Amino acid sequence: MLILVSGGAKSGKSDIAQKLAMGLSEGGKCYYIATTIPCDAEDWNRIQKHIKDREGLGFTTMECDRNILSCLECCDKNGSFLVDSSTALLMNELFPETLGYQMDESAIERCRHELCLFACSVRHCVIVSDFIYSDAERYNETTEIYRKGLAAIDRALASIADTVIEVCSGTITLQKGELP
Amino acid sequence: MILIIGGAYQGKLEFARMNFSLTDQDIFTCTDTEIDFSKQCINGLENFTYACLRASIDPIEYFKKNSDSWKQSILICRDISSGVVPMSSDMRLWRQLNGRLCQYLSQHALKVSRIFCGLEQRLK
Repeated sequence: MLILVSGGAKSGKSDIAQKLAMGLSEGGKCYYIATTIPCDAEDWNRIQKHIKDREGLGFTTMECDRNILSCLECCDKNGSFLVDSSTALLMNELFPETLGYQMDESAIERCRHELCLFACSVRHCVIVSDFIYSDAERYNETTEIYRKGLAAIDRALASIADTVIEVCSGTITLQKGELP
Repeated sequence: MILIIGGAYQGKLEFARMNFSLTDQDIFTCTDTEIDFSKQCINGLENFTYACLRASIDPIEYFKKNSDSWKQSILICRDISSGVVPMSSDMRLWRQLNGRLCQYLSQHALKVSRIFCGLEQRLK
């Protein structure tokens, strides 16, 4: 089963996604794919909070800041996977350290393809994304390419997902399918 | 009239194309304060409200003045209502004009759909 979870910042997406992924695992392996590359104390603090939230839940954490398919080499595909988040994954792929953080636009299509393939390769997958599309800002071209790219990934995942959830203030709106 | 709203890049126009069998010839994309209502589908109303802001035109009054022209239209507008209050007064005013126009249009719409990740959420 594939579930896409989207919503605004601090809306409760990660908590809900964790519960869904854990529920889907039915006591089997449950992997947390951590995608954020911490850049400063703010990132570290947020990561620490997420780690604390997951304590005792039984997740196996795998660090994967790019090339999501590499996770498949060393895990049980019959397990349940939580990818948190496509937002960070695309950021890492689009502005790779190896290119001095210069934009690699080919990363959008690659990232979209790999995430869809990943989701279809495992038994259960919950993917968290961020809804960053309804504000009144006029962004620069680079930011628009990123927003457009992430939206394309969201839409591709939504089209193959069994369930699509929008989270707002910790509450769920079902946009597609049913809750497991 | 059918109103389609949603965030940027959510697939609003694609949804309209698919569901109403639109071709490029049926679509007018707003770039300034004039709208070609002879086209079945009016896309990018947020560009129209932004142009109205620059030209000190009330977008609702414009629609009222042309009320006989869009009763059968498919209108598409980006939702720009969320996020923090913009620092720029222009952006704040744009958000207000756009939001008020969407409220006005949704009152007069037979159907209102919000597109989220390419999926339709029927609001009316």
